[in-house]
Amino acid sequence: MKNQLNLLVLSVSKINRQHVQAFFLMASLVMLVLGVGAPEDGGGNIR
Amino acid sequence: MLLLPAILAGWLVGVVRARSFGRPYQLPELRFLWLVFVAFLPQFAVLYLPGLRKLLPDLWTAILLTASQLILLGFAWLNRARPGMGILFAGAALNFTVMAANRGFMPISPKTAGHLNPNLDVPSGSRFGLKDILLPPEATRFEWLADRFLLPAWFPYQAAFSAGDVLIALGVFVLLAYQDVHKRNST
Repeated sequence: MKNQLNLLVLSVSKINRQHVQAFFLMASLVMLVLGVGAPEDGGGNIR
Repeated sequence: MLLLPAILAGWLVGVVRARSFGRPYQLPELRFLWLVFVAFLPQFAVLYLPGLRKLLPDLWTAILLTASQLILLGFAWLNRARPGMGILFAGAALNFTVMAANRGFMPISPKTAGHLNPNLDVPSGSRFGLKDILLPPEATRFEWLADRFLLPAWFPYQAAFSAGDVLIALGVFVLLAYQDVHKRNST
């Protein structure tokens, strides 16, 4: 149990500022292409 | 969903290229990232939240969509020095032009829409999918910029897309794949 806790703390400490920045940048790029792009897929739900 | 594989492919190629130069992969440095969050929020609300989507009149949806795209265009312009961002800006500008000229939505012809939904039986001018509006080609302004292209029939996933979408996909691919590794190495 203690080992698992140590492992978890070690994993969390590895999530540094750069990882968070990378996540936000990738999320921004996804939002950017979804925001400016307008492809329509096979769903075709009509309103 | 058609554009997301371009992000994945660009990232994968970028990682492989960086490895081949013996360097860790670095994502592009973009300025004013907060603009993207601000701009996308109204789109997310009016397009992806079913409750609000049904509640809001099409006119308001079109206004919010147009405003959101204008901000995103501004973001792309501010970052135009990055590789690929100029291509993405051009694609976004083409999509913005055709949508702004057609009631704020991306026009799609009944014939093209019929390929995506064979049981389609709705009048012209109806909304179709997330951002599209059903319009016959003769009633469409800048028809050559509309959602008029289809993936090959043998492809398991079917989608209609515009010339602007192609440039957007290419732009984001280049942005992620071709970071200036040599320049970064020398600094």
